[in-house]
Amino acid sequence: MLKLENITKYYGDFLAVDKLTFEVKEGEIFGLLGVNGAGKTTTFRMIMGLLEPSDGSVTLDGKKIDYSVTDKIGFLTEERSLLTKMTVKEQCLFYGTLKGMSEDKILSRLKELLEKFEISEYYDKKIKELSKGNQQKIQFITAIINEPKLLILDEPFSGLDPFNVELFKSEIVEMAKKGSIIIFSSHRMEHVELFCKKLVVLKNGKPVLEGELSDIKEKYRKKNILVKGDIDLDKIRTLDGVIEIIEKPLEFEIKIDNIEVAENVFKIVSKGKNVTKFDVVEPSLNEIFIAKVGESYEK
Amino acid sequence: MRSKLNYLTSVSLKRKIKTKWFLIANILLAIIIVGAINIDSIISFFGGDFDKKQEIYVIDNTSISYDIFNQQMKNISNSIKENKEEFNYKIEKYNKSIKDAKKMLENDDKKNNALIVVFNPSKENVIDVELISKEYIDIIDTQTITGAINNTKVALAILNSNISAEEINEIYSPIEIKRTFLDDEMTSEDESMEMIVTTVFPVIILPFFMLTIFLVQMIGAEVNDEKTTRGMEIIISNVSPKTHFFSKIIAGNLFVILQGILLVIFSGLGLFIRKLIGGSDIVGGLGDEVGGILSKLINSSFGEQLIYIIPLTLILMLLTFLAYSLLAGVLASMTTNIEDFQQLQTPIMIISLIGYYLAMMAGVFKGALFIKILSFVPFISAILSPSLLVLGQIGILEISISIIITIITIWLLIKYGLKIYKVGILNYSSNGLWKKMFKALKN
Repeated sequence: MLKLENITKYYGDFLAVDKLTFEVKEGEIFGLLGVNGAGKTTTFRMIMGLLEPSDGSVTLDGKKIDYSVTDKIGFLTEERSLLTKMTVKEQCLFYGTLKGMSEDKILSRLKELLEKFEISEYYDKKIKELSKGNQQKIQFITAIINEPKLLILDEPFSGLDPFNVELFKSEIVEMAKKGSIIIFSSHRMEHVELFCKKLVVLKNGKPVLEGELSDIKEKYRKKNILVKGDIDLDKIRTLDGVIEIIEKPLEFEIKIDNIEVAENVFKIVSKGKNVTKFDVVEPSLNEIFIAKVGESYEK
Repeated sequence: MRSKLNYLTSVSLKRKIKTKWFLIANILLAIIIVGAINIDSIISFFGGDFDKKQEIYVIDNTSISYDIFNQQMKNISNSIKENKEEFNYKIEKYNKSIKDAKKMLENDDKKNNALIVVFNPSKENVIDVELISKEYIDIIDTQTITGAINNTKVALAILNSNISAEEINEIYSPIEIKRTFLDDEMTSEDESMEMIVTTVFPVIILPFFMLTIFLVQMIGAEVNDEKTTRGMEIIISNVSPKTHFFSKIIAGNLFVILQGILLVIFSGLGLFIRKLIGGSDIVGGLGDEVGGILSKLINSSFGEQLIYIIPLTLILMLLTFLAYSLLAGVLASMTTNIEDFQQLQTPIMIISLIGYYLAMMAGVFKGALFIKILSFVPFISAILSPSLLVLGQIGILEISISIIITIITIWLLIKYGLKIYKVGILNYSSNGLWKKMFKALKN
């Protein structure tokens, strides 16, 4: 289990991370979210042991993370962390050996992963000759080549097309099933919603939202109603608790303050014509994020 | 730790050696060095002739100038030549007219470089002389011929005063000067060293100077490459900054040592080829004056001194490589890209350049305290100390002090540089850089 207890990091007088606490068990995928400069990279670096927290502790299975356990960790950085003059084989051998793996094991695992990601032909190609998406695949392969117990993924889907996002997702889920602890950061909220049971949202180094995703959504009082049909929108707008109505190509999205408002909306909708849909749904994580952080993650 | 250090070192070294550029650069270096050592043979191959004597045709309208001029040419030539038997001029009396002589030079391609000296009697000047050539005349030849003509004029003037030709030759024969030193330890070899230091030494230390620049830039480029690609984060998450730092230092030093050995091999190959194709020895190729002095030095007690001068110089050079590489590693960790590093390394390069020029001009300072103190300064001592040692301005004690100071510098660079390196390699911002570094030093 990965445990962060009250970790705090100061850069001079600047507070980068403030008393952050969470734990991630084996098989869990944990989301660490926040806008740029929120403290995600600093947190990742403290987990990796690259930075010493000003206060608090980070432990993996009860032990402080140091160079004796880094062989069990996989790390995918937000920026490309590949040495572009190396070939794919050399790069994987380099990072794999630093993880304490034997050359034979690295090469057999590399071949397996290259086949899985359908890029076997790039085995002897230089990294700089690969496309951005394929470089990201190689970076992902170098992060998981040692079948890590703790896998840290900072924006893993960057530069990937939807097909390859699916490939990555299935591999991440598979690793979680095998018992890896996965910490995940992504700009794509739908991925976070799909993967992460637990998450923490950072703002200026402070956690502003944390816990189980289902609890977070449940606690968030605002709901959305999706309606299809000819309805009296002006009348709905006059109702107390209706925040906004978004006219989409095929339906209307009515944002309400709380679930009790839905009943009043339903009364008006039921008087409309050709009504084929009335669905009260949870707000998306992105909406909750914007509401809590005050700005979009994509910004 | 050791296995990861070995692995990182070997990867770093392979990244430098297993490149086509390393191969191409060394092929070019081999060609240049072998070519430079055999330059006379190459020039000869393409038509030049180093052994060909300078032809001088003398039209003597005074009837006695030719013999005196011929003898004076030999005298002057002997005074500047180590090999007294060697006379590089073929002097012939030309009995036809100036017009015919000019035609001969114009029509015969083999006589492109030939000269015609015309002696005419003169009431005012004893003799008037005309020097005719198809092409420009070499400066040494001009000096020799001018000297011989002047001596001929004086000789003719003396001859007119009823002094015999033999006596005139005795007057103009070179004087053997016996050199005596009041201090028994002083030798004429030491006196000749100044010339050696200013002419030969820069050539010998140039590879060291070049390798130093190469070492600094190579370490800077590699560390910055890993930083800019963020590969550094992955590497440092697996090995400690200390291991990473030392791997770069060891690999860099092994590389320059290997490159240095290759340069020696290329030079050896050049000398071997020179011997094979029958060229004169390398000393002979350095020019008559320097070559002669060098031959004398090698055969004198200085040859024995080389037994300790060479190892001490090598030790100091290797230690200086280490110091430069440590400093380069520390500076590279502070910068965020290679452009910043190149700016930051400029002062180091200037210091090294100053050392190079000081070493070349070491003899000029005549053992001044200033230059002796500078010879203890790390980073330049490897160039300056050996030149002062060769000049006899410092002894084994002083060079040993230079070695000890360099070792202390290395120790300080490791102790404090490592602290900066640990912070610097994961720093990607130049904002408040020096503050961060001073803080790292304090911690």
